[in-house]
Amino acid sequence: MELRYYIIRRLLILIPTLFGLILLTFILLRAVPTPDLISSFISQKATPKEKAIETAQAISFLGLNQPLPVQFFYYLNDIIHGNLGVMYTSFYTGPVMGGIERFLPYTLELSIATVILSIIIAIPLGTYIGARPNSPSDAIGRIFSLGIYAMPVFWLALLSQIIFGHDIGIFGSYGLPISGEGYPTTTKVPWIVNNVSEPTHMLLVDALLHGNLAIAYSAFIHMILPVGVLTLSILAGLLRFIRAGMVDTANQEFIKTARAKGVPEKLVLRKHVRKNALLPSVTVIGLLMAGLLGGVVVIEDVFDLRGMGRLTLATITGLNIQFYGVAGTVLFFGIILMLTNLIVDVVYAFLDPRIRY
Amino acid sequence: MITQEENRSNLRDTKPYVVVKNLVTQFFTSKGIVKALDKVSFEIYPGEIYGLVGESGCGKSVTSTSIMDLIPDPPGRIISGEIYIDSFNILSDLKSLARINIKSETDVRIKRNKRANKRHNEIMSRIRGDKISMIFQEPFLALNPTMRIGEQIMESILLHNILSISEGIIRRNNISQVDLDKFIKNLNGEKDTLKRKKIINNFVSEYGIPEFEESISSLIENSTDDSYIKTEIINMIQENKKDIDLKFINEVKEYYTLQDQLFSLTLQEIQAERTGETALMNQKREEVKALRKYILNKFFILRMKLRFAEKHYMTPFRKEARRRAIELLSLVNIAGPEIVVDSYPHELSGGMQQRAMIAMALASNPKMLIADEPTTALDVTTQAQILEIIKDLNQLIGMGVLFITHDLAVIAEMCDRVGVMYAGNLVEETTTTEIFNDPKHPYTVGLMNSVPRADKKREREIKLDTIPGTVPNLITPPSGCRFHPRCKFAMDICSLKKPKLVEISPQHKVACFLYSDESEVD
Repeated sequence: MELRYYIIRRLLILIPTLFGLILLTFILLRAVPTPDLISSFISQKATPKEKAIETAQAISFLGLNQPLPVQFFYYLNDIIHGNLGVMYTSFYTGPVMGGIERFLPYTLELSIATVILSIIIAIPLGTYIGARPNSPSDAIGRIFSLGIYAMPVFWLALLSQIIFGHDIGIFGSYGLPISGEGYPTTTKVPWIVNNVSEPTHMLLVDALLHGNLAIAYSAFIHMILPVGVLTLSILAGLLRFIRAGMVDTANQEFIKTARAKGVPEKLVLRKHVRKNALLPSVTVIGLLMAGLLGGVVVIEDVFDLRGMGRLTLATITGLNIQFYGVAGTVLFFGIILMLTNLIVDVVYAFLDPRIRY
Repeated sequence: MITQEENRSNLRDTKPYVVVKNLVTQFFTSKGIVKALDKVSFEIYPGEIYGLVGESGCGKSVTSTSIMDLIPDPPGRIISGEIYIDSFNILSDLKSLARINIKSETDVRIKRNKRANKRHNEIMSRIRGDKISMIFQEPFLALNPTMRIGEQIMESILLHNILSISEGIIRRNNISQVDLDKFIKNLNGEKDTLKRKKIINNFVSEYGIPEFEESISSLIENSTDDSYIKTEIINMIQENKKDIDLKFINEVKEYYTLQDQLFSLTLQEIQAERTGETALMNQKREEVKALRKYILNKFFILRMKLRFAEKHYMTPFRKEARRRAIELLSLVNIAGPEIVVDSYPHELSGGMQQRAMIAMALASNPKMLIADEPTTALDVTTQAQILEIIKDLNQLIGMGVLFITHDLAVIAEMCDRVGVMYAGNLVEETTTTEIFNDPKHPYTVGLMNSVPRADKKREREIKLDTIPGTVPNLITPPSGCRFHPRCKFAMDICSLKKPKLVEISPQHKVACFLYSDESEVD
């Protein structure tokens, strides 16, 4: 099986890439001046003498007195053990790894819902529009795509809050929620500890796992607006992409062959055009997923959601920049991007037999 | 050559399989209307190889794509004319398909009639691949890159032969000793391995037992005891009885029989439309509607099964289709058809791809094959092999071929009759011998002289004769005879009137004022 070797090869390539990424974040950390790096280890009220002692302690604690290769070795060792350092912010204080563990599931939940929803909408709609280039439905699709594409996401989010929360009033203070994490803080259930649900940290999934339909419903309702806005913003590009692929494929010679064989028009579209047209979209969908997992900072801010984007933002917006936080999240996003790329490539190779390198 | 002549004169008595009459195809581009074909007429008889030759851009490919009704629309459209395939005019409802409003050369409004187009497409999908097939210039582009070769051939087989396959599968359940006796008797009377293989193939195909093909052939090779072979075959079929859901097969058969009925009713409706019998037409239209509704309602579940889980439910059909695909692949001389059937197009060489294309075109034994420069993209040795295959198929199956090429050597090798095209017109049409011995039209003469010939090379050490000038721009074609600006013998009349294609001697038609005064009336 050729595909298996392809996957193994890709996994092996992942190792040097990962090493390079870790080296890069290490260089990033060491490029920061030492006083800035250790500033969070020194109390501001201390006397200069105490400060000198604390500085020396911090330097030896962080291993900054060791030669660079040794430091890198320690860094590598820490990463292997899941130790990305500590961050101190008003949003979250604790180990960086713990922060990712806590805030990623929420973003993951949003991203998966968004990607699934946009695929479900984009493929049939894109096929429909792409099969009728220059028709009225194509024109409507184009106007919709360009219009949404031109709107900043945060503005779209605000607009949706205003329209649904205020003007129509389905969501909002008297109706359904327009923001927040999805359950009233007064609710006491054993599987929610410190505002974090167990075991997956995804509220909707956990509520369903525990059979608590009221909370599941609440979580679902809370997801509608953010997921809707994200889907809309993704849909605009995806739709154009699928449409272009359909038009492009429909002009290929092998479509003429299919017609010459006597394949009915509907089947030509379904069996020959669509599959080939959707191939490039796999890449786009994968990259969109990676982008979403990176935390949609603005959306999370507008809807007051506590996800990866907020965590990332917190590392650089506090009183002191949390360098370990920055390095940790950068490393994490790098890994996410690498893995998504790998998955996309494998899926692509699986779908397109010509790709085996 | 003499046999070819005889062959062809015999053909004259039969009815032509493809008739093209006054075909006009145009392309509406932003620069103006390209008059690609201007009243092209010719006939192709069953079993003959008809060649179309001419410079590039003279309308050869447009002619062939028009016959298949595969002109890319937009920008192209068949404007008028008649194309009869097996005595059925595929362009009969041309007028109702679209209304074309030509305001100026660059401003053309086309209003398509959706309903008429849908019916037209349905009819065409029955004709294409079934009555007439086509192979293309570049096999690499013409095969679907994401589908296995076998899958693509099977698609064609399953589209057109599902009834015969289902009948075979039904027949296997009622197989009797008499059938087996006949099979064994046929087999024993034959010594030639290839022919024996063919008998086995036919038997397997007739009784819908593709999965036993190998077992049966090895059984026959290793045993001489006829009664043993017979009981073994019956045992095999009995053992695998539970794999076949006969009720489902019958349902599929009924569904496709009704679809065929619907098709013939539609044809009757068109017939009535053409003759102008309004009452009959309305009656047929109602019948078509009622039958369609009946099919939609009755076979809803079957249609859902075929729509969403075709591969699962159609397994018995697919087995037979796969066997036929392998048979077709070996028919076009592909080595190792069992491996090729599971390959993707990019894993094959150009020659193999073109063979696979031919196999695909042969899937439902069409009487006519259109070969649109099938060898242009291939290297010389492969070219010869492909030509040989096409020639063999023509002689073995009696399949007619419309062969399009710009290579006169290929024409000499392959064709019975030749049509010479220039700038969207058929300027000369005659037998292959005539065209090389006695070309009449100045363009044909020029074409002949521009071919390098070994015997003439020493004689005069001057350059090849070429036809002066280039192919005209077909947006603004020359008036009258389209060749007159490049013609040595151009007269006054040539730029004023368009010559008509007339028979100047038996089986030799020329459109030139040098030979006849007749002109086309506009």
